[in-house]
Amino acid sequence: MIRKEAISLAVEQIGEQPIISANGFISRDLCEVCDKNSNFYMIGSMGLASSIGLGLALKNPKRRFFIFDGDGNILMNLGSLTTIGKLKPKNFIHIIFDNSIHESTGSQPTNSDVIDIKKIAAACNYSHVYTVSDKNNFLKTIHKIKKLKGPILILVKIQQNKQIKSERIKISPIKIKERFMKSI
Amino acid sequence: MKETIQKKVFNYLLKNGIKNFVGVPDSTMKYFIDEGLKKNKIFITTREEEAIGIAVGMTLSQSNSLVFMQNAGFANSLSTITSLVQLYEIPMIFLLGWRGFLQNDAIEHTKIGKIQPKLLQALSLQSKILNEKNWKASCDWAIKSIKEKKLCVLILKRDFLD
Repeated sequence: MIRKEAISLAVEQIGEQPIISANGFISRDLCEVCDKNSNFYMIGSMGLASSIGLGLALKNPKRRFFIFDGDGNILMNLGSLTTIGKLKPKNFIHIIFDNSIHESTGSQPTNSDVIDIKKIAAACNYSHVYTVSDKNNFLKTIHKIKKLKGPILILVKIQQNKQIKSERIKISPIKIKERFMKSI
Repeated sequence: MKETIQKKVFNYLLKNGIKNFVGVPDSTMKYFIDEGLKKNKIFITTREEEAIGIAVGMTLSQSNSLVFMQNAGFANSLSTITSLVQLYEIPMIFLLGWRGFLQNDAIEHTKIGKIQPKLLQALSLQSKILNEKNWKASCDWAIKSIKEKKLCVLILKRDFLD
């Protein structure tokens, strides 16, 4: 499963619920697969998608927030996992697409080939943690978590891919913000 | 700044619509933070950038936020300020402890204390230095700034040595 396939599969299940997506190809793929007002594309500020999502989850307890993160992104803001685990928002669903490389900058390795991010999240007080590596299990897990309380982590192991490259996001940051704020 | 004034600053901002106080502690503003902790309004984060990210999420939820930090943490956050807060035009207040303001402050504060005004200027950030006379007017200015959808900075001088 490549990232774009995994993202397609996830958004079909998530529907109109808000998604905060990390910079680089994660946001670009999401925008190409299914652009919606309730997608917040984080274009810069690598590492902070989970923190932005935490702020939103704390202030909107009746809505569920999905964070689309990457291995490089979360490794840059690991402290965030401890803050999330301490505050324990029930409406926080963290999906990390893990290819063990910084694909956006030319496929340099990250540490996630050796270090298990799922174990870190479990140690950080996440309520439920999963690793999936194929479409069938990913789909089953998304169904399973619908009635569970967060914070929840799904670590999605994806294949590295050099062929399919999504375009840069053409929507202006101000527009992304304004339409997202109206949607929540 | 005196304990009593720091507490007044916190309560004034809270009373005037600032709902969230997120950041990394600084002894320069110890009493400000203590007052917030007492009222259960403070979120302590692991890094300043994380605090800014959380405050962005809260502001996107129409909930006004202040991020407090040392000037060392401000320096850590430059890219987050330019590529998130300013890029998306997210209004919020930064409360910044000016370490290295005194000539004989600890050596690790000297350089950052010296270049802080230039850093603020380079980022085109509007700021006001709080003191015991102007604190209320400065807080009013900050509250007005975020109503106008701007990022603004309040500064507390570190006027003691420890």
